[in-house]
Order: sequence, then structure tokens, then C-alpha cells
Amino acid sequence: MIEIVGSKAVAVVNDAGRFGRFVWQTIVASVLSCAKTKTYPLIWAQMNIIGVRSVPIVMITGAFVGMILAVQAYDQLVSMGLEERLGVLINISVVKELGPVLAAVMLAGRVGGALTAELGTMNVTEQIDAVRSIGTNPIRYLVVPRVLACLLLTPALIIYGDLLGILGGYFVGVVQFKINSWAYWNFSAGGVELWDVLVGVIKGFFFGASIAVISCYKGFTCKEGAHGVGQACTEAFVASFISILALDYALAVIFKAIYNTFWSVRSLV
Amino acid sequence: MMTRRKKRKVKKDDETTEPSVIEGDGIIVIKDLTKKFGGNVVLDNISLTIEKGKTTVIIGPSGCGKTVLIKHIILLLRPSSGEIYFKGRRIDNLNENELYKVRTNYGFLFQGGALFDSLSVADNITFPIRQHYKVKYWSKFDEFVKTKLSMVGLEGFQKFYPSNLSGGQRKRVALARAIALNPEVILYDEPTTGLDPIRSDVINELILKLQRELGVTSVVVTHDMTSAYKIADRIIMLHNGKIIADGNAKHIREHPHPVVQQFIHGQVNEDDLAVLRASGTIFQTQFLPRDFEE
Ligand SMILES: Nc1ncnc2c1ncn2[C@@H]1O[C@H](COP(=O)(O)OP(=O)(O)O)[C@@H](O)[C@H]1O
Ligand SMILES: [Mg+2]
Repeated sequence: MIEIVGSKAVAVVNDAGRFGRFVWQTIVASVLSCAKTKTYPLIWAQMNIIGVRSVPIVMITGAFVGMILAVQAYDQLVSMGLEERLGVLINISVVKELGPVLAAVMLAGRVGGALTAELGTMNVTEQIDAVRSIGTNPIRYLVVPRVLACLLLTPALIIYGDLLGILGGYFVGVVQFKINSWAYWNFSAGGVELWDVLVGVIKGFFFGASIAVISCYKGFTCKEGAHGVGQACTEAFVASFISILALDYALAVIFKAIYNTFWSVRSLV
Repeated sequence: MMTRRKKRKVKKDDETTEPSVIEGDGIIVIKDLTKKFGGNVVLDNISLTIEKGKTTVIIGPSGCGKTVLIKHIILLLRPSSGEIYFKGRRIDNLNENELYKVRTNYGFLFQGGALFDSLSVADNITFPIRQHYKVKYWSKFDEFVKTKLSMVGLEGFQKFYPSNLSGGQRKRVALARAIALNPEVILYDEPTTGLDPIRSDVINELILKLQRELGVTSVVVTHDMTSAYKIADRIIMLHNGKIIADGNAKHIREHPHPVVQQFIHGQVNEDDLAVLRASGTIFQTQFLPRDFEE
């Protein structure tokens, strides 16, 4: 019994160590390849695959989030006579939390799964070993373009998601529930600061990088066979999802501290 | 209870293990190489010196560790213990980044080809060059691909993708990729498996040509004895993780070891045959669908 627990614990620590090394190598290789024009076409190709085709799904998610929030919050606000504040409520939730997190979750499913399956298949068919045998670092050739593409595109996709979330809320609030349009936007503009939008977008960099790194790692370490690849995809999604939530919490704490110390002072000056 | 170790296979034929060091300069030297996967000992204390400019053929039954051995030569797998040298320099203690440079001296043909399935045939073949050189003359590239493809008998396949090729064709594209950088050493993992006899002979001729004209050192893993006899300067037989025979084609043909004789003549072991013979009388040879219904 103790033996089982012990060997499981050793396996967990080993895995964490390998993941740490993978992350470190990825960071080093990313920094190095930013200087090399040779990787730009690879990054560009991945951006097309990862980013462009994710736009519709992220926009649809955003629109529905905004609409649902409006439907759910309207009755409560009406009972307090505050329905004109609906815009603030929707827009701040979308821009700061729901937009980034839900967009990232969609990407974890859509992009993360594809990355793991692709790299996992390359792993079990020895294509990654083939890259190594040719004298090329597979992290530089395969992982870095994908991670950089995700890192750069997730914030952009989040902006699309935010935009549609705002429009969705507006559509339900103003068109369906007939809230005064001027009041809706005016209160929104007063309640949502540039800071809130920035926080949401900056989160995107972290979410994007963590989705890509986790998914690539799972692909690189996936076990033989169709079952191995499938399992790696599942694990990659679960791990990405949890890391998104954990990062979101950590970033919320950090940004709050930053806001309290710097941003508020800035506005006083 | 979790450590379920496979018993080490019993070695009965230790006395026939011969010293494997041959005079001349060894471009690749393997010293006391042992490789274990968990408790499964695949290579057991192997020492081997591979001579420059010669073709060394490694034979042995499936699953005896030929692929594992050849992958150790370029450190795609790390030894459990032992040392590996390339041109007198120890390479098994280098880190992965240092190894990338060493590996450009090698070409490696994977058993399954390992073509990049997102790249066309032409891009696969030029991949090593694009990785290691700044290409300016793209027009030369077409010519280069054409030459390499005709060397392996696949003219006109530039635009194909690996998924549209047969197993044998993939292997030949992989061979073209392996020789793209004009490496000093080429490692072939079963180059003729899955090819028809005529294609096999073309590959044999190609291996010989590379050796004669460019002085390439080749290590060929195979269980195709026709090919082995044709190309080998030296044949090594692996069995149960050990080298049990080592010498030129004649030496192997006349080798006294029964396992070697069985292997090169493709004869079934008497014990295995006994099971098959017996099964006809003791068990039903074939089950019929109704046997599974009540
Ligand atoms: N990555 C691995 N993990 C565990 N066992 C392995 C691995 N690779 C090879 N083996 C084992 O090593 C033995 C030799 O395999 P291999 O070298 O592929 O045989 P072959 O001589 O047919 O090329 C097999 O029994 C196989 O199970
Ligand atoms: Mg093999």
C-alpha cells in the first residue's frame, strides 16, 4: 500500500519536473527564435490555423454570454428600479471575467485538443524523433510556433469575444427590454474603465500560453497508440481548463494589488 | 507488488560470444552498452566498434533489440549504462542541444519511415537542408529533389503527401531524406522490409554506391539475408540482448551456433514446430462460429 502511494508520488513529482523543464526549454527557445526570421513563417502558419478559424466560435460564445447575462439580470434590476444600470453589470462582467475565461475555455477545447492530437500522433509515429535525428530541436520547430501563435492570438480573440458580448447584452437590453439606449451606454461608460478591459486582455496572454504549453507537453509525452493519443487529449483539456481557472484567480489577486497601489494613485494625480 | 519484473532471459549460449573489436579505426565505438526498459533487459553489455567506410549489418529476430541498438548510436535513446563514441569523442554524456550538432553527421532511416505527414514529399526531402542552411537558390532545390527521388526510383512524386504513398514508397522517400545532408554515417533500420525483391535490390545497390563513391559508413539493420549478404562487409547477429555472431558473410554462413543457422536459413525452431504439430491433434485447429454459441 505504502509502496503504491510512494510510487504514485514519485511519478507525480517526476512528471512535474519534466513539465517544468519543458516549460523552461520552451521559454528559452521562444526567446531565441524571436530573433530568427526563419521561425516567422511557421508562427504565421500556426496563427492562421489557430486564430482565424477560432474567430466564429469565440464570437458566438461571447454573444450568448452577453445575452444570457442580460436576460438573467434584468428582472432583479427592474425590481430595484435600476434597469438602466444593466449595461454596467453586463459589460464589466464580460470584459473582465466571462469574456476572457470563456474564450480561453473554448480555445482549450478547440485548439488545445487539436495541438495535442497532432503532436501526439507525430510522437507515436516517430516524427518527433525524426526531427531530433535531423539535428533540429523539436521544441524550437514544433512547440515554439504554436505557443507564440496562441500567446499572440488569444488576447485578440478575447477582444472579439468581448465585442460580441457587449453587442449581445445591448441587443437584449435595449432592443428587447427597451431600456433607454443613451442611459444604457452612459452608465456603461461610467462603470467600465480602460483598466478593466486591459486586465481582460492581459489575461489572454497567460491563458493562451498555458493552453499551448500544456497541450504541446501532453502531445510530446503521449503514450503509444490511438488510445494513448485520445487519453492525452482528454488530459490536456482538463489540465488546461484547471490552469485557466487557477491563473484567473491568481491574476485577479495580483491585478487587484496593482490596481490598488498604482492605478488609483494615477487617477488622483 | 507494483514492481512486476520480467525475469531475465536465461542465457545458455554464452561461450560463443566473440570479441567484437576489429582492427582499423572505429568511427563509432560502443562500450558495454546496457539498455533496460523497466526490468526488461533489451541490450545486455554490448561492445561494438564500427569501422569507417564499411557497411555493418545487424541481423536478428524481430524484437531482439536491433532498433533499440541503432537508436543508441545517435542517442535517440539513452543507455542505461555504457559509453558511446563518435570519432573518438564520447557523446552519450552530451546534452540534447550538443547532440543536435553531432547528429547532422548522420542520416537515420526509421523503420516506419517517420515522414512528416503535414509536408509534401519534396518538402520532406529538403527539410534537413532548410533546417541547417540558408537557402538562396530555390531553383536548385527542384533539381536536388528530382535527383534524390530518381535515386530511390520515385520520379514525379514531388507533390504527393505521405498519406497517399504505399508503405514501401514512404520508406524510399524517407531514405531520400536521410541522405539529403550527405552524411558521413547512414543508419538504416530495415531499408528493404516491405519492398518487392527488385526494389530491394535497387536499395541494396544504392547503399553500395553510397559506400563506394562517397565513402559513407553504413549500419544496416535487417532480417533480409539476401540483402545482408550482398551489402555487408561485416554481419553481426543479436540474440537475447547479446552479440552471438560477428564476422563477414562467409563466417556467418559457416557459423556453428544453431540459432545463427536457424535464422539465416529461416528455419523454425523444433520446439515451436512441436507446438503447432501437436495442436492439430490435441486441440481443434479452427473454431467454427457455432462453437461460441450454446
Ligand atoms: N520505448 C520502449 N519502451 C519499452 N520497451 C521497449 C521500447 N522500445 C523497445 N522496447 C522493447 O525492446 C525490445 C526490442 O525492440 P526493438 O529494438 O524494436 O526490436 P527489433 O529488433 O525488432 O527492432 C522489444 O521487446 C520491445 O518491447
Ligand atoms: Mg526494429
